[in-house]
Amino acid sequence: MLRLEGVSVAIEGAPVLREVALHVPPGGRVALIGRNGAGKTTTLRALMGLLPVQQGRIALDGQDAGGIPAHHRARMGIGYAPEERRLFGGFTVRDNLLLPAQVLRLPRAELERRLGLVLTLLPELRDVAPRRAAGLSGGQGKMVALGRALMVGTRAVLLDEPFQGLAPALALRYAEALARLREALPEVAILITESSPALLRSLVDRSYVIERGEIAPA
Amino acid sequence: MADWLAQNGLLLGLAALDGLSNAAAIFMVAVGLNLVFGVLRVLNVAHGSLYAIGGYTAASLGLLLAASGLPEWFSLPLLLVAALLVGAVLGPPIEKLLLRPTRRYEPVLQLLITFALFMILEDLQKLVWGVQPVVNDAPLRLLGTVDVPFGADVIPFTTYQLFVLPGVALVTLIALAWFLRRTLSGRMIVAVTADAEAARAMGIDAGRVMLLTFTAGAALAALGGALASPTVSLVPGVGAQTIVLSFAVVATAGLGQIEGAAIAALLIGLGRAFAVYFEPELEVVIPYLIMVVVLLVRPQGLFGVVETRRI
Repeated sequence: MLRLEGVSVAIEGAPVLREVALHVPPGGRVALIGRNGAGKTTTLRALMGLLPVQQGRIALDGQDAGGIPAHHRARMGIGYAPEERRLFGGFTVRDNLLLPAQVLRLPRAELERRLGLVLTLLPELRDVAPRRAAGLSGGQGKMVALGRALMVGTRAVLLDEPFQGLAPALALRYAEALARLREALPEVAILITESSPALLRSLVDRSYVIERGEIAPA
Repeated sequence: MADWLAQNGLLLGLAALDGLSNAAAIFMVAVGLNLVFGVLRVLNVAHGSLYAIGGYTAASLGLLLAASGLPEWFSLPLLLVAALLVGAVLGPPIEKLLLRPTRRYEPVLQLLITFALFMILEDLQKLVWGVQPVVNDAPLRLLGTVDVPFGADVIPFTTYQLFVLPGVALVTLIALAWFLRRTLSGRMIVAVTADAEAARAMGIDAGRVMLLTFTAGAALAALGGALASPTVSLVPGVGAQTIVLSFAVVATAGLGQIEGAAIAALLIGLGRAFAVYFEPELEVVIPYLIMVVVLLVRPQGLFGVVETRRI
């Protein structure tokens, strides 16, 4: 589903990823483990087409990603939950969830079906749905970012450090949500980054370790 | 005080009416500048030139109309036609050829590019329309004047400045607020303004949103110029004067504020008009005085929002 081969990425001239390889098969659950600054976020942003690739090849669903503009990822069924949540603060939670599906001009029935699915997987979003996203706590925001990624991520979701900064109780709820996701939507591949491998052990079936811009299977 | 009022009451009323029509034109320019800055993150110095070119184009088309013998009332919709024409002809090439290719460089480079563009457009405007004042007040004369009751007196004021200018500004304000909040295209603009990268990841074609926003902003500036054109004689330098005024409005209102820009335009428009009537030497400095006082008290502007919390 997602594949990086010999990919190098530099940000403002400084190399961040050095010839990395990584593979997420369809429906696969893959963790990318590494310390802060190792290049986890850069890997996901490169996959999303938000950073230019210097060298190597990224393939999405077998297609070379080089010619695919960043905003076509959503249409290909790839959802993204950035580390900083990056919700649209002026919109309500419901509107944040709906926006990517509306941008794809999904039919009303499909829109409602996906929203229903997301609210089933993440029941805590029901209560906050009418609230403005700017007023959410960090943990609630992470849940909304996951829900928003799932609204279009019918093939794959990229989750950037979802457990970062979560209180233990919330982290547990988030992990439970991921387990439900695995049950309900086994066809959706997940690439999840984290700094500590312990949190993800039961949730993934393959792990990679990233260190100073180099990725190795764990 | 009572004596002063008795002597100057009429002037006060006249200043208020002048300020209102003045504010309407500045608002159109400032709101476009604000939209463009929000989406493209570039402070378009050439925005004032689009106002000037909108004004000149409207005046020229109006004079052509008068010479053609077509009905006079055509001159009113012609103002809108002139604005759309300027927006459609100048907006897309500026965005595509100058701003898009330079987007990945430092913001200051884009600022310099729009400054260069401002100088080019100023000279282009002198080349096309010359340096003699251009006047076409047909729309103003067409609608005549109304007597505005003011205490025991009446102030005769042009219908155009009293109703058309503020009316169009009000319609623009309401339409724009509705568009940004209630339509998908509007929400896409808001999303790109808030976070262009996140918007892209959500499937929004940010490049297209930027092109459309820039074109709309250019048309709004041109509309401001076209609407103001019957009330002034157009001379070189009007673009520069407009851009500094609308910078002051945007800074006073706070970035990203549509309604705020209307109130700030009103404050600055009225402030200028009162200065013209009572302390003419203050006219030039009043807008910046208002801006400085507001920014001292509220650095984010009257209605600006402090960054949303991230954690």
